[in-house]
Amino acid sequence: MKSSSQSIDLKGRAVSSGIGIGPTTILSFEPTAVRPDKIEPNEIPSHLQKLRDSRNLLLEEYDALKGESNLQEARDILEAQILTLKDPEVNKRVQFKIESERHSVGYAIFSTLNEYIQLLETSAVKWANDRAIDIVAIRDEWIDVVSENRKEISIEKGDVIFAEEISPALMVKISRIKVAAIVMEKGGDTSHAVILSQSLGIPCVINTHWNRYQVKEDTPVIVDGLDGHVIINPDDQQLAQYEKRREEDFFRVRESLKWVKRENVTKCGSPFSLRANVEFLEELPKVTTHGAQGVGLLRTETVLFETTEFDVKEQIEFYSKILQATANEFVTIRLFDAGGDKLIDDKESEANPFLGWRGVRMLLDQPTLLKKQLEAIYRVSAGYRGRLKILIPMVSRLEEILKLKAIAEEVRGALAGKNVDFDNEIPIGIMVEVPSIVMMANKIANYVDFFSIGTNDLTQYTLAVDRGNEKISTLFDSYHPAIWKMIRMTKEAADAHRIPISVCGEMASKPEAAACLLGMGINDLSMNSSAIPNVKAVLCSHTLLELQELAERVLETDELKGIHELFSKWTVTK
Amino acid sequence: MVRKKVTVKNESGLHARPASVLVQVASSFESEFTINMYGFNVNGKSILGVMTLAAEFGSEMELIFEGPDEKEALDAVVDLFETKFNGED
Repeated sequence: MKSSSQSIDLKGRAVSSGIGIGPTTILSFEPTAVRPDKIEPNEIPSHLQKLRDSRNLLLEEYDALKGESNLQEARDILEAQILTLKDPEVNKRVQFKIESERHSVGYAIFSTLNEYIQLLETSAVKWANDRAIDIVAIRDEWIDVVSENRKEISIEKGDVIFAEEISPALMVKISRIKVAAIVMEKGGDTSHAVILSQSLGIPCVINTHWNRYQVKEDTPVIVDGLDGHVIINPDDQQLAQYEKRREEDFFRVRESLKWVKRENVTKCGSPFSLRANVEFLEELPKVTTHGAQGVGLLRTETVLFETTEFDVKEQIEFYSKILQATANEFVTIRLFDAGGDKLIDDKESEANPFLGWRGVRMLLDQPTLLKKQLEAIYRVSAGYRGRLKILIPMVSRLEEILKLKAIAEEVRGALAGKNVDFDNEIPIGIMVEVPSIVMMANKIANYVDFFSIGTNDLTQYTLAVDRGNEKISTLFDSYHPAIWKMIRMTKEAADAHRIPISVCGEMASKPEAAACLLGMGINDLSMNSSAIPNVKAVLCSHTLLELQELAERVLETDELKGIHELFSKWTVTK
Repeated sequence: MVRKKVTVKNESGLHARPASVLVQVASSFESEFTINMYGFNVNGKSILGVMTLAAEFGSEMELIFEGPDEKEALDAVVDLFETKFNGED
């Protein structure tokens, strides 16, 4: 185990953006232990009394908290907790366990609520899994009250909260203290702590394994809610860098949300499209509120991992929900892109997974999976003509495209044979993320309907840098002059063959890089919905000529450092 | 006793918020309220019972009321399903 005096850089799942810097406050609650001891018959009345008293005390507290809160989300959360305490079935069962099974009140509450927790945890429905945490929280809090073992929490403004997970009621309390950030060991994307963090604008990172390190109370920490980095004990340079970013973010976010409803045109009226990268249904509300035009990259790894045998019906349901939520806009479905870090079978670990069996290479070896996914896409297309696009991941040679298109044709033929209605014209495009494709772009454009550049992988494969290797992680930089030149090459090839081109990598979510891409003529960008307002604000407030000048200067610069200087100057002047 | 089949029209299913609305409205009536979904029965006034149904968009369930105000209760709850729980999606 590492000591807490050295800098520790952890990576979790970023769920609420922003930068938080502050001293840690560790909320580690050991739940009160309960044992299935039997009580004496003469103790039954006192245990029943404790049940009523504890319930009333908590109801009063939650009711008061609810009255004080002016945040709708917080009131909803507390209302759900109040309804749980009032739940007639729960109370009946707890009472039965005390009276007939002669269990202590603590154990009766514990075992009753556990039955529900188990049902929710094992449910096939994701939101139900996330709700289990709330019932665990109320179970533990209720037991603390009946055992007269409640814990005091002392949280101060500006603290970075480290917790295993956070109960809804505690989260409401936290929401009234302006904490700097929240880091959780567990947590689901739609858990209350996450929803509240988002609506309050508290940076939040979940699934961070901070518990494995001896993190001491009051250790300085930086939380980056955009990329999920949690830096414990940062050095001065990191601190200065993140403080600057935090300040910039603050002003940018305040300004950018004003832009959401504006038309997607530059200051001089030149149009562009900003689309969302989506993986979960839970992200859909944000797609709308942040003004995305449809989905530029729909990741299908999670939905396929979650379906049994890549069930076509389940996939259709998922795709329909995405299509329904995105009005008349395009939805680009990236075919199952597992492998690399998302390896299907852990047993067959590869020495170089990122150079291994992934993307289209894996799909062509797994025709059943591929055909089922294509079938689901074509079947769903009947109701959404002209709105779907198919994106092939990790292509490195033309043959892969030809083979995949032949299989798509086979799937269409089979559906037509069964008289199934579908959109016969779904464009099939490729991810441009391997340098060999860039070098051949001019030829390959003859065979595909569109290009979508994945900047992260393109950077990794072009610069020969493993993103995950800490020793060289500073070498991973998508602003490298070679990357800009590759983007330009791809754009020129797309133009020559009149096929659309978009960028769906992390690069598009950085306002200055998005500005440069638009300056290069790429006016279709896809990114995490949270990034859209910021990017939009910058693009809307410049003329196309200004963006073209920026792009020209970036493309003329030979040193990476020079490109960073250009960008930082450019952002500052606006 | 009155009973009626309904379908969940909320796109995100009968998740926590609509479930809360359902339980609150049902609890304002005296009648006993049972929900039967695919042969599984829960007390419709129990928030945890309703949540463990994990009913998704398109799920069908039967609402069963028994008591002095059963008709009014059924109408009120059916209305919730029709209006997608007052747009709680």
